[in-house]
Amino acid sequence: MAISTKNLYKKYGSRFVLENLSLNIEKGSIYGFLGQNGAGKTTTIKLLSGLSTPAQGQIFVDGMDLSSESGKIKQILGLVPQDSGFYDERTALSHMVYYGRLKGLSKKESLEQSKVLLDQVGLGNEMFKRVGYFSHGMKTRLGIAQALLNDPKILILDEPTNGLDPVGIRQIRQILRECNNEGITIFLSSHNLLEIQEICTHIGILDKGKLIAESTIEKIRHLESNGVITIGVYNLSFGMISLIENLEFVVKTELKAEHTLEIFVNSRTDVKPEINRLIVESGGQVFKLIENSLSLEDAFFDATGIKL
Amino acid sequence: MNFSEIQIIGEDETFKGSKSKYVWLFGGIFVFLCFLAMHYSTYIFFLFPISEGIPYSLISYIVVLSIGPFIILITSFDIVSSEIETGSVRYIISKVHRSSFILGKFFFLFLVFISVSSGIALISLIYQYSEGNVFQLKNIVLLWIFSSLYLGCFISIFLFISTLSVNNKISFTMSMIFLGILIFFFLQGHDNYLKYLTPFFYGVKNMEFMKGFPVGAGYLTVFESLFSMFMYMLVFLSMSLLAIKWRDL
Repeated sequence: MAISTKNLYKKYGSRFVLENLSLNIEKGSIYGFLGQNGAGKTTTIKLLSGLSTPAQGQIFVDGMDLSSESGKIKQILGLVPQDSGFYDERTALSHMVYYGRLKGLSKKESLEQSKVLLDQVGLGNEMFKRVGYFSHGMKTRLGIAQALLNDPKILILDEPTNGLDPVGIRQIRQILRECNNEGITIFLSSHNLLEIQEICTHIGILDKGKLIAESTIEKIRHLESNGVITIGVYNLSFGMISLIENLEFVVKTELKAEHTLEIFVNSRTDVKPEINRLIVESGGQVFKLIENSLSLEDAFFDATGIKL
Repeated sequence: MNFSEIQIIGEDETFKGSKSKYVWLFGGIFVFLCFLAMHYSTYIFFLFPISEGIPYSLISYIVVLSIGPFIILITSFDIVSSEIETGSVRYIISKVHRSSFILGKFFFLFLVFISVSSGIALISLIYQYSEGNVFQLKNIVLLWIFSSLYLGCFISIFLFISTLSVNNKISFTMSMIFLGILIFFFLQGHDNYLKYLTPFFYGVKNMEFMKGFPVGAGYLTVFESLFSMFMYMLVFLSMSLLAIKWRDL
């Protein structure tokens, strides 16, 4: 595991903001950490990167215990916090050289790596510009560049696409994919479901400080498989519909057109063959059978139980 | 804690400080006030015994005692709080030990004010020599050490307050209030135990050494004084380290 946490608790005052959080982030994955505003995503990131200490529980990064080996862990971890927090009067290159040295690089190494990384994130022509003149997107890219100094194994990003325009979002996505292709494990928090669906291989859903689901994107989608099957049948009769409605996993049916029926199912297994067999045995002729898979958005709302 | 991390943070602060107009302005004001005090010292000639001449090191030291805390407040109240306010502290702490961050900041400020103290000691030396007084190198060295430690005490106090604060406004207000409390404690009189809690007490206690270097048993008093100020500085510095250790950033 790149990162794993065991029964993590964090409280502010008497209020628990994280409860019994046990995360497992596989090496080489892009892990999306989903949750509403105030769910505890930023708090989790602060704990993972050593900016905050848990009330209870353990954090392991690359097999090392964060409480006892934070120095070593900081060398293999790159953090992109939510707020930019750069010095406005300094240039991008000056920031990079400083942070590179803090990460253990010599002045020369830091300068060389900084130039390469700034090029990689598309800031090669802006390296001598003061950060005060940078746009939000440029600052985010600078944030990613500084996190990549000294070749980290793990990159942690707190809502990296927040407030970016579509071009900026696509650029960040591209950079993250490239980093992942180079073997870097990526952990990113977001409340943008589309973003997570687009880029992540794994996902964890946090709700009110509790991890309510953690798996691959595909598995999460089918976790609460209240799917809809659209079926086209010649010779469709009410008797046939009644037989379908009697099936254990069918929640309800809706007749959409003369030959089209929508079947709402609740099952974790593929039920299409069984429906098909029943219709054929009843004298129907199936010409269309489509399962509308759930979007991540549906899965998120199902998992969190949020009703709009 | 890692020495190279402390060094890099200190170096960076020096780099930033050397470009800061405020550091030059207030450092310059400090040295200039000292220069003025000595230049016009002939007007206060009657305060000192004629046989001993004008004690230039004492005049310099009084300037440090009275103006120093305010200059330190202005230059150091935001040293950590500004990093917390802007969020830049997260980039730094995600790479280095928290203690290195604080110690880097402290040593930077301490070195700056050691340099300022050196400047003041040098002015004092020049005046003393040009006025035909006896060359008292020991006094000048004592002035330099005591001034540096006295200012170091205030640096550690304001660094501690800055570490606790969430923004510059709070840090400045808290520092002003704390300085006010220290002055109030000191003014409570010589019989009050509260005086021990203020660097002013240790600073004023050392004034007598500026008139003439002690001999014999006096060395012990100098050492005791130096040790007290060093411990005072160390206590506040340790509190800053504890404060940053348990802070959520």
